[in-house]
Amino acid sequence: MEALKNALDFSDFPRLDLFIAGAVGIAFIVFPFFPHSSFAMATMIQFLMFSLYGMGWNTIGGYGGQVDLGKAQYVGIGAYTTAVMLIRWDVPFWVSMPIGMCFSVIWSFIIGYPLFRLKGHYFAIATIATSLVLKDLFEVWDFVGAARGLEISPIKYHPPDFLRLIFKEDVYYFYVILVFFFVGILYMNWFRKSRLGFQLRSIKDNEDVARSLGINVHWAKVKTYAIATAFVSMVGSFHACYIKCIEPEDTMSLDISILIALMAMLGGAGSLWGPIIGAGILIPLKSYLKEWLGAQAGMVGIDLILYSLIIMVISAFEPRGVWGIVEKIRRRKRN
Amino acid sequence: MAFLKVHNLTKTFGGLRANSKITFSMEQGELMGLIGPNGAGKTTLFNCISGLHSVTSGQIVFAGEDITALKAHEVARRGLARTFQVYVASGDLTVIENVMVGCFMKTHLRSRARARATEILEDLNIDDLSDYLVNELPVAAQKLVTMATAIGSDPRLLLLDEVAAGLNPNEIEGIMATIKHVHDGMGITVMLIEHVMELVMKISHRVIVLDYGEKIAEGDPEAISKDPRVIKAYLGERYVREHGAGSSEQWAGTSEQGVESEQ
Repeated sequence: MEALKNALDFSDFPRLDLFIAGAVGIAFIVFPFFPHSSFAMATMIQFLMFSLYGMGWNTIGGYGGQVDLGKAQYVGIGAYTTAVMLIRWDVPFWVSMPIGMCFSVIWSFIIGYPLFRLKGHYFAIATIATSLVLKDLFEVWDFVGAARGLEISPIKYHPPDFLRLIFKEDVYYFYVILVFFFVGILYMNWFRKSRLGFQLRSIKDNEDVARSLGINVHWAKVKTYAIATAFVSMVGSFHACYIKCIEPEDTMSLDISILIALMAMLGGAGSLWGPIIGAGILIPLKSYLKEWLGAQAGMVGIDLILYSLIIMVISAFEPRGVWGIVEKIRRRKRN
Repeated sequence: MAFLKVHNLTKTFGGLRANSKITFSMEQGELMGLIGPNGAGKTTLFNCISGLHSVTSGQIVFAGEDITALKAHEVARRGLARTFQVYVASGDLTVIENVMVGCFMKTHLRSRARARATEILEDLNIDDLSDYLVNELPVAAQKLVTMATAIGSDPRLLLLDEVAAGLNPNEIEGIMATIKHVHDGMGITVMLIEHVMELVMKISHRVIVLDYGEKIAEGDPEAISKDPRVIKAYLGERYVREHGAGSSEQWAGTSEQGVESEQ
């Protein structure tokens, strides 16, 4: 019961924050009622999805300080589980999503257990490697369509199909992911106040101090990694139903892994709002840059240049991102 | 039976013998000092006892249980806490959150951890600092926070690694009173590494001296300050001349003088 109370309790944030968060939340809910382009709607859905990816990343990467650049493998596991089960056995989304989460968590234990023996850059590199290896495996695995990927053909179903999450209009997808988004925020609000959340922040600080306070550092990391994984896998399953066409190259690419980590870092790793702010800045920027500069002016890859710029700016000026700047200003005012 | 028993403990790093066949024991309720020149192996000994280092050979028994092979977090869960000499807190945790990390060892509930942390901060008279980030505080207060965090895990034995280093005489008075309170008031057995002789000689019941990884002396503060080997290795002839040997009331000098006179 206390867990639920903690999840719903936002009272340690300044009133201004809660006001802004509430206003933005309501704006999201009513957004579809206002005139909008399908491009704007797609961007909104992308934003919500990446916010959730970022929240997942933030548990281990932000609170725990373990830079994980392999989250795309769990997008892939989630997406493929849902797509394969739907196409082959007509299993509804609400069943295949938890199964995908189980697969992801099992996989996360298999690779997390040895990987967390590594620290810092070595850990980051190892996560990239496992993600790429898994992607290559999927590219040659015929059962899941190999490099051709899988396609969920909507003609076979009768949209709107809430069980299988097959819709014609994006607005349905929007509301489904919006519910996930709100639940995700509540979960993260619980997590940051939980015992595990505190333990991770202590681990990020200094592992020896954490150990001397009775924290099983390795196990705490593995557990949190599994939580992060479950988040990402859940959205991956959604991704399969939303995009309807998945292939290893775009669900499991390194780009996605980096984008997830980058967003959380830009917004503020280790804070509740950080990943959301990061996604709110990067996703629209990425979409519009691609749309305007990339497609129209033929400047392909402009978004990659942008990412590298952001990485440089964050590491040079404020490692704790946008939210770090906000907190700094607040502290200065208070003291 | 002894509360903490270290038997023939040896720790080597490659060719370096950081601890060599150290044997001592400690009773519950004792307050023990551990002194010696820099590089004598004091912190290594703490690291071995608290499980951060695996020992090369020897045995450590705590409260009747062999803890030699246990990992650090397992040792901590048996009621053996410690502080660190250099502990730079990150910008992430406030004072009370730091202490709560310690308290979370004994409970899963945030409300209980928070209540216990508040209690400890009040007990140590630093509850007015609760909401500051640790690195916003002066060194003396940071040291108190690290002690409070360790106390949060509800230890039976507390190892303090140079809590008075870098403090001015006033602050040393304060931290001395705190250590006494932790020992007498909270009933925690304490072992402390300290270069500030004034502090260690005044409050310790017993002192162990290390030099080049070996135990060279053990006894009450008075006997230690007269011991010729200790004077030669650590206190220094000039130190003893200036402050007089034997009377613990006269330990007014600080570590710098003691270390200086080694040369």
